[in-house]
Amino acid sequence: MSSAELRYPRQTLWADYLRATAGVLLCGAPLLLLDVNRWLAYCLAAGLVLFALFLVRTALRHQTRYVLGPDTLCADGPAGTLVEWGRLDRLKLSYFSTKRDRSDGWMQLSVGSTGGRLLKVDSSLDGFHDIVERAASAADAGGVGLSDATRANLRAMGVSVAGQEELA
Amino acid sequence: MLRFIVRRVLLMIPTLFIISALVYFIIDLPPGDCVTAQVDELLSRGDADALARADELRTLYGLDQPLWRRYFEWVGGIFRWDFGLSCQDTVPVSDLIGERMALTLIMESCTIAFIWIVSFVIGVYAATHQYKMGDYIASFIGFVGLSIPNFLLALVLLYVGKVYFGLSIGGLMDPEYIDKPFSWGKLVSVAEHLIIPVIVIGMSGTAGMIRRLRANLLDELQKQYVVTGRAKGLPPMKLLIKYPLRHAINPFVADIGGLLPDVISGSVIVSVVLSLPTTGPMLLGALKTQDVNLAATFLLFVAVLTVIGMLISDLALAALDPRIRFGATSEK
Repeated sequence: MSSAELRYPRQTLWADYLRATAGVLLCGAPLLLLDVNRWLAYCLAAGLVLFALFLVRTALRHQTRYVLGPDTLCADGPAGTLVEWGRLDRLKLSYFSTKRDRSDGWMQLSVGSTGGRLLKVDSSLDGFHDIVERAASAADAGGVGLSDATRANLRAMGVSVAGQEELA
Repeated sequence: MLRFIVRRVLLMIPTLFIISALVYFIIDLPPGDCVTAQVDELLSRGDADALARADELRTLYGLDQPLWRRYFEWVGGIFRWDFGLSCQDTVPVSDLIGERMALTLIMESCTIAFIWIVSFVIGVYAATHQYKMGDYIASFIGFVGLSIPNFLLALVLLYVGKVYFGLSIGGLMDPEYIDKPFSWGKLVSVAEHLIIPVIVIGMSGTAGMIRRLRANLLDELQKQYVVTGRAKGLPPMKLLIKYPLRHAINPFVADIGGLLPDVISGSVIVSVVLSLPTTGPMLLGALKTQDVNLAATFLLFVAVLTVIGMLISDLALAALDPRIRFGATSEK
């Protein structure tokens, strides 16, 4: 198996930059230009922190490339980390939806190997399915304990792991 | 999740801006203004200078300026917690709304807590004891709550309390605490007086929630996985809590955002009937007298609470169950 280089789509990143910048301006401008009431200033400052965090996270994602190899998943960037499939000890696949019928949601994969930091990737990442497949097979081989929710989500993505038949 | 929160918070800003503009312009739409009523009153008292004073008052309230300018001055003032002058007593709106807003928030929070707790307990009980006496009683409460208007229930309770128990139900505290600083005695008095308004205002919301939760939970309890779990000997409580209840409370959580405006608008007439010193009667008065600054400020607060409630409800919905449902699609 050869290595694959994965990134978040450029279009998604630019849309996020736009949102973060708009938020920072909308919350920051009144704080700088107007005489704002103390309690409202706290609310605006909280908004400013939220949008600034989002801006930083978007920049980190922009600068990070994910290299999926046969033995490792490497996040190569400013806050990079390495997950060794052979030493995988954490795998969680969550699905988030804000609709009543649970549609139009997004997935989030959290993986980590012994002694390493947790790596989180969203389903908007190109090649997300490949990472999930590789992580699931590593978890299967390493006997990593998976939650019911993770098993159900893997099954929904068409990825099979041992013990899924119990949920069927 | 961070991206979702950012998108929603960012969307809140134009939403609130549009709502505030719509509210401000619609309140001002009817012919006349808040000075008209005051001038009529002065004329009826035989005040010959009434018309001359009308111009003074219009200048004082800024009514001689175009509507768009008044709107932007009002919006700009929000950042300084200055909502302009109220026509009712010629005092700043921020001075008028202080304690009333606090009492309203306390009352509405208690009402929402009452609705959730009571409807959750009764709804689960009714679904797990279908066609038993408890279920029939819960259904009866549901129908009564849905069919009786809140203000009528308030009137009935006022009558029953006065005639049969000699109790005065109106107000939100004993008369000796009105306009007095906060104290333990005042808190106890408010808590005692809150019981009836909370039940009255929360009745219809509770009834609706009971019926929704009961119906959802009954649907879930009849599914194959529950039957299989029961056949395999899972303890009933574990079987109920682990999956069916989590699925059934999805719509329950989704309704959090919608509950807040319902409760606030439902409490206006009840507050008038029960003489509660909340924002309801003042809002009604402001709308009747076209006190644009006061009414728009109240309605803006309702809009802020609604969009925050919607955000909380969506986040709770996302966190409630991290599993994909078959047939649902995830976005790339």
